[in-house]
Order: sequence, then C-alpha cells, then structure tokens
Amino acid sequence: MEALRAAFDFSDFRPTERWVSRAVAAFLLVFPLLPVSSFATATMIQFLMFSLYGMGWNTIGGYGGQVDLGKAQYVGIGAYTTAVALIRWDVPFWVSMPVGMGFAVLWSFAIGYPLFRLRGHYFAIATIAASLVLKDLFEVWDFVGAARGLEIPAHRFATPDFVRLIFKEDVYYYYVLLAFFFGGVLYMNAFRKSRLGYQLRLIKDNEDMARSLGINVHWAKVKTYAIATAFVSMVGSFHACYIKNIEPEDTMSLDLSILIALMAMLGGAGSLWGPIIGAGILIPLKSYFKEWFGARAGLVGMDLILYALIIMVVSAVEPRGIWGLVERHRARRESA
Amino acid sequence: MPALLEVTDLTKVFGGLRANDGISFTVGAGEILGLIGPNGAGKTTLFHCITGFHRPERGTVRFDGRDITGLPPHRIARMGMARTFQTYVAGGDLTVLETAMVGCFSRTASPSRARIRAREILGFLGLADLADLPIRDLPVAGQKRVALATALGTEPKLLLLDEVAAGLNPGEIGELMDAIRHVHEERGVTLIVIEHVMELVMNLSDRVLVLDSGRVIAQGLPQEVAHDPAVIRAYLGEKYAARYLEEASP
Amino acid sequence: MDILVSSVVAGVLIGMVLALVALGLTIIFGVMDIVNFAHGEFLMLGMYTGLLTADATGMDPLLGIPVAAVVGYLLGIACYWGFIRFLLRGPMVAQLLGTFGLMLLLRNLALLLFGSEDRGVNAGLLVGKSVAFGMGVIVPATKLAAAALSLVSFAAVWLLMNRTRVGKALTATALNAQAARYMGIPTERMNALAWGIGGATVTVAGALIVNFWSVNPYVGLLFTMIAFTIVALGGFGSVPGALAAGIVVGLLMEIPGIWDFVAYATEWDWMMDVPVTSFKYTFVYLAYFVIMVVRPRGLFGWKH
Repeated sequence: MEALRAAFDFSDFRPTERWVSRAVAAFLLVFPLLPVSSFATATMIQFLMFSLYGMGWNTIGGYGGQVDLGKAQYVGIGAYTTAVALIRWDVPFWVSMPVGMGFAVLWSFAIGYPLFRLRGHYFAIATIAASLVLKDLFEVWDFVGAARGLEIPAHRFATPDFVRLIFKEDVYYYYVLLAFFFGGVLYMNAFRKSRLGYQLRLIKDNEDMARSLGINVHWAKVKTYAIATAFVSMVGSFHACYIKNIEPEDTMSLDLSILIALMAMLGGAGSLWGPIIGAGILIPLKSYFKEWFGARAGLVGMDLILYALIIMVVSAVEPRGIWGLVERHRARRESA
Repeated sequence: MPALLEVTDLTKVFGGLRANDGISFTVGAGEILGLIGPNGAGKTTLFHCITGFHRPERGTVRFDGRDITGLPPHRIARMGMARTFQTYVAGGDLTVLETAMVGCFSRTASPSRARIRAREILGFLGLADLADLPIRDLPVAGQKRVALATALGTEPKLLLLDEVAAGLNPGEIGELMDAIRHVHEERGVTLIVIEHVMELVMNLSDRVLVLDSGRVIAQGLPQEVAHDPAVIRAYLGEKYAARYLEEASP
Repeated sequence: MDILVSSVVAGVLIGMVLALVALGLTIIFGVMDIVNFAHGEFLMLGMYTGLLTADATGMDPLLGIPVAAVVGYLLGIACYWGFIRFLLRGPMVAQLLGTFGLMLLLRNLALLLFGSEDRGVNAGLLVGKSVAFGMGVIVPATKLAAAALSLVSFAAVWLLMNRTRVGKALTATALNAQAARYMGIPTERMNALAWGIGGATVTVAGALIVNFWSVNPYVGLLFTMIAFTIVALGGFGSVPGALAAGIVVGLLMEIPGIWDFVAYATEWDWMMDVPVTSFKYTFVYLAYFVIMVVRPRGLFGWKH
C-alpha cells in the first residue's frame, strides 16, 4: 500500500521537472494521433523499448553501481520464451511474458550468484562473457531454431489480436508499450524510495558500512539483478511479438547489451529520468542519422561515428551523464 | 552483570604479523569499555574480528550468549551489534537523512516509518539541520557523526565506535561526549570505544582495555590504567617511560 | 593421434600470438587500472595496416609489421592525450562508457574507410607454404612465423620493461603511481607511454594475424574478449602471466580438435553429435567466467 502511494508520489521532484514530465507524458499519449510518418512511430516504439531496458538496467547498474553488460541474454530469454510458446503451443502473450520473466529470473539467480563475487571491471566483463555463452548455446539449439532463429507466422492470426499481441498497425504496439512504459516509470519511482533502493545506494557508496548495518550485500545485489532481469525480459517478450523475427544475433548480441547500458549511463545512471533521457536522445539520433547517412554511398558508418563522438564527449566531460550536466547547471545557477 | 560480549583467546595473523594475539576480555551489559593503545596495536583489527569483517585464526567471540565467531558481518549486525568505521568518506549521492534511514531499515521495511525514526535520531545527535545535505558535502567529522546516527538506527545492544572524535575541536568533543552518554543512558546501549582523544575515553569509560602489539597489556578503571607502568611504557617507549615514572614517584 | 598433436601445436602457436594481443591490455591495466574496450579495434587497425601496406607497396605482408608498430604507437599516444586522460578523473562507469565510445568510433571509421567486406592476405613469401614437423603435423608457415615473431616482441617488451630506465619508471608507475610521482617520475607521460606500447604491441599482433585471418571492421570485439580472458587468466597487469595464459587460451580454442580426437579414438557417438566447432569461442568466455569466480587473481597467482 505504501509502495503504491510512493509510486504515484512525485512530490520530491522540482516543479519544473514535474511540469516537463507531465508534458512529455501528454505528448507520448497523443503522439500517434499527430500526423506522423510510420518511421517516426517505429522510432518512438524503439525509444519506449530502450527506455524500459534502461530502467531495468538502472536498478542494478545505476542505483546499485554494478555495471552490467550482459542484459541481452535476458532479452533473448524473454523473446524466445514468447516466440517458442506462441509458435509451438499457441500460448497467449500475457501468459508467456510472465513465464519468460520467470525463466529469466531463474537464470539470473544461477548467473548472478557467482557473478556478484566480482566487482568493478571484473564484474562488467564477466557479465559479457556469461551473455555470450548463452548466445552461443542458442545458436546451436535446434529447438529454438538455432542460428536461423524463429519467425512468428503473423499472417495466421486475425489482427488485431490483443491476446497474442499480433497487430498489423504499429499504433497498437505503441499503446501497449506505452502502458508498460508508464508502469515502468511508476515502478521505478517506488523502487528508488523503497528499502532496497536506499540500501543499494549505500552499497554503491560504501559496502562495508552497508554490511555493518545488517544488509546482506550479496543477496541485495542478486535480488536487484533479478528485478532488472524481469524488466528486460518483459520487453524482450514484447520485442518478439513486435519484430516477429528473432535470432540470437540480434536479440542476444553484445551490441544490444552495450546499447542498453549506454542509454542509461549517457542519460544519467541512478536517476529516474536518466534512462528516458538517454533513450530519448540516442534512439532518434541513431534512427535519423542512419536514415540520413546510411543511404548515401561513401558515408556508411557516419551515423555511428557521430554517435560514438557524443558518447566520448559526455563520458569525458560529465561522467554522470546528461542528467549530471543538468544538475550541474542547476547547482551553478542556484549558487550564483 | 551478565556478559554481553565475551572474547576468548582471539588471534588474527596477517602474513607474519600477529595483529591480535590471544586477546580475551568481557564486556558486561550496560558497560562502556574504552579501548586504547598506540598506533598499530591491533584495535581496529579487533573490531573487525568481533564484527565479522575478519575471520580470526583462533579464539571465539560470544555475543548475547551465542557463538558468533566466523559469522558474516550482516548476520552479526542483525543480532544487535553495530559499529562505525575509522575511515568513512562518502562519495555517493545519499543525503544525511537517507543515510540514517538505511540504518533504520534494519528494523522496518516501511520508508515512512524509517524516515520518522531517522529524523528522531538525527535530532537527538544535533544533526537535524543537516538532514537534506548530501553526505559527501560534510566534513569528515560530520560524516562520522552521521555514521554514528546510522549505526544507532539499527537499535543495537552493543555499539562499537572507532575513533569518532578524531578531527573534532574541544567544543565538538564535549558535544559528542554528551551525545554518547545520552545514547548509553537513554537507550541502554553497551559501548566499546576506540579513541585517541584521552579526555573522551577517560571520562566516558567504566573500564579501559589497553592493547599493545596485539596483546592486552592492562585493563581496569580509567585512573588505574593511566598510571600503569606497562601502559606508560607502551605509549612513551622504554627510555622516556623510565624518566617519566622516576619523576612521577616522590 | 596426429589430430591431437596438430591441435595442440596449433593451439600453442596461436596462443603465442594471442598473448601478444593481450599484452597491451595488461600493461595498460597494470599502469592505470583502466580496461580498454577498444583494444580489439586497435588490433583490427593493425590488421588493416599490415594488409594495406602490403597492397600499396607490393611487399610481403610481414614487412607491414614495423609500419603497424609505428601506427599503433602513435594511435595509442594520441588516444591517451586526446581522450583517455580526461576519463581517468571520472568514475569507472565513465571509463567504460568512454572506451566503448572509442570502440564504436574506431570500428565505424574503419567501416567508412575500408568497407565492410572480409579481406585477407593472398600473396606473400609465406602464404600457402607450410612446414612439416613429422608425426603428421603440418603447420602453415604464416602461423609459425607469427608465433616466433610474437615471442620476439614479447622479449623486446620484457627487456624494455626490466632493463631500461624508462621501463623501470613505467613499472614503478604501475606499482604505485603516487609514490612514483613523488620520486619525480612523470606519471602522465608514463601513462601515455603505456598506451603507446599497448597500441604498438597489439597492432603488431594484428599485422601478424592478418596473414592467416581475414579482417573486417567488426573483427575487434572477439579479440577484445579473448584478450580479457587472457588477462584474467594470467593475472591483471602481469606480463609473464599474459604469455602463459595466452597459450592456455590458444589450447582452449583448439578444444574442438581435441574433442574430435577423443570422439574418434573412443568411438563415442554422442561426442560426435555435439556441434563442438560452434563452441570454439564459448570455451574462452566460459573460461573467463569460471576463472574470475574461482580465482579472481588469475590462474597463475601473479598479483598486479
């Protein structure tokens, strides 16, 4: 009950932040009603997906300070559970999604338990290694289509199918995902003010002190890792229904893991808005850069070069990301 | 007085160095024990061994009637033993209030209740005005008091304080002493205090334990210990101790 | 039997080259505790340097090695002064983010300049030749030369680190940067030097590898992961550890060959059914995971 109240309570943010977030929420609600291209809608769906990935990452990576670079394996578990269940046994999305989350969380315990004996760089690299091992396994596992992947035969179902989450028009996907997005924001708002949220932030700051206060640091990390995993797997299930064509190379690749972490770090790890800002800047940039440069001969990769430069500049200038820049600017204005 | 903490033959070795060498002592419920000794005597190591951060090579620690030797720190803490650290420098973004709340979370899962308890403790330690400052903006002495407040949030039976007065001016030491006395009397917390500020440790302690080179070289009432030749030797060295003792005796 | 011996020999040879790949990573980590995720991209650039030098001059690809060393050295120094220096003051998150950015930048620059297709060396003094060792072991001359030259490079770096003034200063910085600064060692320049040496060794490794491994702009990441595994195995920051660990990882990559040998020798059908060649690199990743969890200080116990 208290958690529910905390989820809807944004009173500790500044008035400007509240107004901006309300405006963004309103914009997201009416966005498909505006005269926009299907490309823009697709970009917005990507934005919402990566915001959610980033929110999940932010629990362990941002509040907990454990840089996790292996989130793609859980995208894969979610996506594959939903796809396999739908293709083989015609299981509805709303059943396969929580089941996928369950598998992902179980796997996260198996991986997380040994993983969190490591810290810092060692942890980050080990998460990559773990994720790559799972991807290699999926690439030879015939049950899930091995390297060819799986395709959801969308034409077999009468659309719009809200039970299996199979639509022809992106706008349906958009609104389903938007509901997830608002749910995610509310959950994160409660999380950051929960017991675990505060404990994690102390763990990030000073593990020994956390231990001396009776916190089981290892278990707190494993638990948070499972929460992050559930988030990511949920979006993975959505990804399967949305993209319809999944293979290990794109649902479980290291590039995806890095992108998830990058969004949140660039936007501002450990703040509620960080992942949303990160995705809100990087996803449209990525899509439109690609649109502008990708088609032109001789400029292949130009989009990602600009992209890389932005990342490099932010990391060198303000390690707390774009939200860090905002806060620094605000602090300067207040002290002046 | 029933013993709350019972340390028997505790030994901790680092490489060839015996940081703690067969230390035995007891602390009764409601007592304040001062722990003094020159630098490198093994005081902080002893704290680490008691609170589970180090695993001793030999010996046992019994707390509240149970053998806690080798248990992990968080389990010992949950049994009612809290501590502060000699060096605590915060780099995170938690505020003073939020840090204190984390201590209270060991007794309640409710953020609102933890917030009320934390405010109460901060007020009690005279930190109420600082509640909304990021802890990293405080001077080290302030951070140590926040650490004390946080430790109190766990509602400990036994509290181990590691040099909380270091870096304070005489006025602040007086305030801190009042606060510690208050903690002891109002909340009935048993205390072990490592301290180099003699004024504080001699005034507060019911009993003082002196360590040197990992061994207990003296224990007793503060005044007795202060005049113990072995203690004076440990602090001043053989030569100066001899001169001092000569001058002191009529 | 010859499959087994060939696998082991191949593993040891490739392991020596991989050790050289990891050498730069371990030096950089040792000196400034920073993990360079763009390490494989340096290697990729080294591969292109070797290849393009050979193409442009019509000389043997092996002659591209000194060019690659110079390119790598300058690239390393430039990266340090132009970018890495600014990351060092930040937290670990910023370092990860930053070196990722560098990785993306180098990869896509390569894509822009060289195109995305696989390219390889198809002419040269050693290409297509092989050396027979008896017992049915035949080793491509390119691999043999690469292994030998990488040992030479290792020896050169070892001499530099242990027998020269500047190398000792570098080691001192690695052991304790603050103390080194008090002793009057310009640690900033030592950091830059570490990046220079790191860059040079890895691009040399690239110029060696390109003789038997085709290159494309995406090849770097695999080598980054292999290098991380070697560094973890040998102990972060340890030079001799890197050599030993490189050979172990080279052997890990030959597990499929060894597996086949066991499968044929024992005629266990289930072993033949396992698509073990698909797991060539899985063993490497798995090794990293297991080593780090079981022995975080590295298998050989060298402390950094």
